Amino acid sequence: MEQALVNGLVLGMNYALIALGLTMIFSLMNVLNFAHGQMYVLGGFITYYVCTSLGLPYFVAILASIAGLAVVGLVFELFLFRPVLQRSAREESSMLLAAGTATLLESLILLFFGEKQRGIPPVVSGVFEVGGAFIPASRALVFVIALASIIAFMLFMRYTRPGRALRAIAQDREVTALQGVNIQRYSALGFMIGAGLAGLAGSLLITVLSVNSGMGTSISVKAFIMVMLGGAGVIPGAIIGAFVLGLAEAFGYAFIPSSMTYLIIFVGLIVFLIIRPQGVMGKPWG
Amino acid sequence: MSALLSIEAIDVRYDKVRALNGVSIRLDKGEVVALIGANGAGKSTTLRAICGLARPVAGQISFDGAPISGLRADQIVARGISMVPEGRHIYPFMTVKDNLLMGAFLRRDKAGIASDLERLFVRFPRLKERMGQQAGTLSGGEQQMVAIGRALMARPRLLLLDEPSLGLAPQMIREIARVIKSVNQEDGVSILLVEQNSRMALKVSNRAYALATGRIALEGSSADLLTNEEIRKLYLGIGDAEASAGVHA
Repeated sequence: MEQALVNGLVLGMNYALIALGLTMIFSLMNVLNFAHGQMYVLGGFITYYVCTSLGLPYFVAILASIAGLAVVGLVFELFLFRPVLQRSAREESSMLLAAGTATLLESLILLFFGEKQRGIPPVVSGVFEVGGAFIPASRALVFVIALASIIAFMLFMRYTRPGRALRAIAQDREVTALQGVNIQRYSALGFMIGAGLAGLAGSLLITVLSVNSGMGTSISVKAFIMVMLGGAGVIPGAIIGAFVLGLAEAFGYAFIPSSMTYLIIFVGLIVFLIIRPQGVMGKPWG
Repeated sequence: MSALLSIEAIDVRYDKVRALNGVSIRLDKGEVVALIGANGAGKSTTLRAICGLARPVAGQISFDGAPISGLRADQIVARGISMVPEGRHIYPFMTVKDNLLMGAFLRRDKAGIASDLERLFVRFPRLKERMGQQAGTLSGGEQQMVAIGRALMARPRLLLLDEPSLGLAPQMIREIARVIKSVNQEDGVSILLVEQNSRMALKVSNRAYALATGRIALEGSSADLLTNEEIRKLYLGIGDAEASAGVHA
């Protein structure tokens, strides 16, 4: 019981990084980033490569993953999403493009990192015991880094000038241009941050769950579940959704046959969305 | 005297429809100029063309002697033109203070921003009380003050006001008129005012242009236009309800 709670919290904290990135890209650019799971996977593989093949410390690998994914996000925004969004007013165009980028990224990962499942050994050794639950020190480390990153992200969004500009764009693009904000530059920044958060999550969770090149889509689906649960485009909503999913998974795997867990989660999600389509914190449509 | 803003024969089209047809407007430093006319006459389109949200297909817009027609909206703000959009468009899920700070986005002088905020709170004491409140929870009049305050925080040389009286109670419209005058006279900000409330617009402005179906129909000093027969009949609606909602400033 306690063990499932601890596992769920560790999972939820890292899921929150994934959901925050996805909700950020959605609210800034109105783009559903279907490649978000692949970005997560790429973050995991970069971490594996830097730690194992290059033999560099784990912290270097984390920074490399964030930076690598920020570059991927920037390239996607500049060369793919920007021209398409400028030329087409139809939402299907950006959705098709996003689906395409997911396939593209998945193929590139397969090409460069192969089809093998990859993980890295625990970064720190030792186990804490808290109230009957065992927490490996490496999980505690991942939890703390994720928590610190989320707090840093929220402080950045709330109290800094660029953070304010990003919130402003999410609320009203045109009027934000009238305040002197270069919308395209800040959209690119938002895409970089969103992708970077996915990379960070991949880098942290690979110490707990190994990655393979084909798992991106299921991560994307999870990310969309979290965002739908919490309410699209709402920062606290993404965090709530992430913890709900993380805890549901951890308790499900602990107490019921694992094949049943996601069946129950999806049925629960469908029922929840019928009752409250806008999510926990989302605004009702229209 | 050289013009602060000079619009020369601009055409603006939405899709294939011509919204503006050879519109020329001149605004000198220190002036309040009003743009009046019926719904769909092209008043808002003129403002959108000035601030970079609409691209003229012909003609030229210059600010302070330099052409600005091809610039992006954020570059035009940097030149010293701020816009209060129609319908206010404040950020509903931001605090009043963050809304105002967005207006100062391009400024880097922290001390100057802080003292301008204080000055703004003297002008709009009600905003000070509501500084930490989400702006979407304010009344319409208070939201209009946030929108005007946000534009002023950029320290503009030219302020564009799009229908600031829209949807407000008569008492609030008088308050807006008073603010327009004080911003112009005390802060020395030139103002281009678009209004459907022609009476209020003519009372607070020095000169005015009347637009009709995308063309300038009439121009002159506001005092003359207030007594002009045609204007009285067409835009002031003498005898109908609009006159009673007018401002006696």
